[in-house]
Amino acid sequence: MEERKYLDIEDIELFFSTSEGTVRAVDKVSFGLPRGESMVVVGESGCGKSSLGNAILRLLPRNTEKYEGHVFLNSEDLMSLSDEKFRHDIRWNRLALVPQAAMNSLNPVIKVQDQVAEPLLVHDMVDNKEQAKDRVVKSFRRVGVPTDFLQRYPFELSGGMKQRVSIAMSLVTEPDIVILDEPTSALDMLTQANIMNVLKRIKEELGISFILITHDIGTSSEIADRAAVMYAGQIVEYTDARNFFGDPLHPYSIKLMSSVPRLDVDKDLDYIPGQPPSLLNLPEGCYFAERCHKRFEKCSQEPPLFEVEDDWHVKCWLYK
Amino acid sequence: MAAKNLLEIENLHTWFELKKYGFVTVGNVRAVDNVSFTIEKGEAISLVGESGCGKSSLAKTILGLYNPREGHINFAGTVLDSSDEEQMDWYRAKVGYVQQDPYGALPPFMTLKKILEEPMKINGIKDSEERIQRIKETMEELKLTPVDDFLSKFPHMLSGGQQQRTVIARALVLDPDLLIADEPVSMLDASVRIEILELLQKIQHERDLSVMYITHDLSTVRYFSKRIMVMYGGKIVERSPVGDLLDNPAHPYSIALLHAISEPDAENVDTYKEVPSGEPPSLLNPPEGCRFHPRCKYKIDGLCDEEIPPDFGCGMEGHQVACWLYRQEGEGIPDDS
Repeated sequence: MEERKYLDIEDIELFFSTSEGTVRAVDKVSFGLPRGESMVVVGESGCGKSSLGNAILRLLPRNTEKYEGHVFLNSEDLMSLSDEKFRHDIRWNRLALVPQAAMNSLNPVIKVQDQVAEPLLVHDMVDNKEQAKDRVVKSFRRVGVPTDFLQRYPFELSGGMKQRVSIAMSLVTEPDIVILDEPTSALDMLTQANIMNVLKRIKEELGISFILITHDIGTSSEIADRAAVMYAGQIVEYTDARNFFGDPLHPYSIKLMSSVPRLDVDKDLDYIPGQPPSLLNLPEGCYFAERCHKRFEKCSQEPPLFEVEDDWHVKCWLYK
Repeated sequence: MAAKNLLEIENLHTWFELKKYGFVTVGNVRAVDNVSFTIEKGEAISLVGESGCGKSSLAKTILGLYNPREGHINFAGTVLDSSDEEQMDWYRAKVGYVQQDPYGALPPFMTLKKILEEPMKINGIKDSEERIQRIKETMEELKLTPVDDFLSKFPHMLSGGQQQRTVIARALVLDPDLLIADEPVSMLDASVRIEILELLQKIQHERDLSVMYITHDLSTVRYFSKRIMVMYGGKIVERSPVGDLLDNPAHPYSIALLHAISEPDAENVDTYKEVPSGEPPSLLNPPEGCRFHPRCKYKIDGLCDEEIPPDFGCGMEGHQVACWLYRQEGEGIPDDS
């Protein structure tokens, strides 16, 4: 049998039931991430990339209809763990999340120091509050929040500082993998660049893996070693960052890349006509076919994920 | 003779009074502090700056939503007087406004037909057939087709891009001379952004419309405008033809902004970005002298922290920068760094 990657996701599915039918948010997604490497998940809004993050962390809303597949962390199948054991041993302990709009997810009436310490206390990782505080201070230093901010409330901080506090909170338990859901999309350019510098340094110094979920391809290239492109709940391309940023293969990835405005070249920009399909009512065959500029007869059938080259997977009939 | 400039802004100040107990003034938030510029007829200019630098306050002052504390707005040869209601009504019909968040800008309980009809009703177009005719023309221009399908829809039934096109249609339905677009694409997906920008550009050319495009994203301005202004701490710190600014930025702040942009490139993983320390200044209590000096690595002691720099010329014609480094011709950013 093939050797498992440190984080190995196999055929994970997450469907929601709504009054209008089943939403196939994550539809048989598989990928592997070696230890210490970081990856980016890119795609348009509504393609299921945030749901993928939630599925890995087993953060399931009430209307979950189907949650299946396998998540292996260091060869241990997390799906076989009970909810209670998962909560205690895995979530925040080994897999942490910085949620979308993290800066607004801080509790406004609790001092940031106490909020950041909470995961430590909940998971019994420290014996007393003094120890917790030491770890919080350490975590704050890592993300570049001055320690005199410890006693402040979230409203006393700027957007960039709040985002750093959220990242500090995900790092305080020293997890192996941190999932960042749109960590910089609400921030200014200079603050964005600052946060990416912080993440890069943490990755180098602590060897933490980041899974960056974003629609901002430019920023994602700052920390990504690997890249996955998601479309309508599925991964359509998964490869090394050098391949992806250099010369993507899937027609959707190509279009996505050419819709990024560039400073240095005066090339014409491209956009993708139409809209992504509704996850309630997916078309037959390849989900992207309707908007694809390279569509041919074969596309009326659903393509499998072809391995084009070693470690370069593309879900498109062109690469059969 | 028709004036060449459609809009002339002179020494505009928009300050917000901060009050204690409801009546004691404790200070002023200097959102727009002595800003002057012009927009020609049919010209598109960009205004770039970070959040809190006063760019939206400037837009809203130009729209007549805020009253300036000092300074003049001269529109098509008329100096605006905010107390003259009749004149302001005429002016507001001539200026269109595209808001940042399309979903928040559209009333959820109104159909597209009602939304697009409203500006015309308010401005006294009484003939309902003419109103429908103009709505249809504008919607076709914005590719909201087939028009009849869209007319009865509510905003929540549209995608983000369609919502934003509706907002633009509403701004254009009165056939304005000036369009102020405040971050029109920042809430949209990258794949839709370009579509909207191209559409705006096409309309700008076809209608010979003056557009002020406000954004924090420098990478999109090249595709849209010929001239650009960079705003920091309530002041315009650099103005230039777009290409010249992107190739030879002069102000240390503009340089930092350009450096902060990440282009998709796998090599980025190996390098750190150079970012000025600190945060944008509080406009309630801005630093003395140049507003950028506390974050600037080229600061000249005794000058930058004391006196506000005027505009100096640099490089190409029309490229002006408010920075003391350029006080003598031929000088600029020191080389050694």
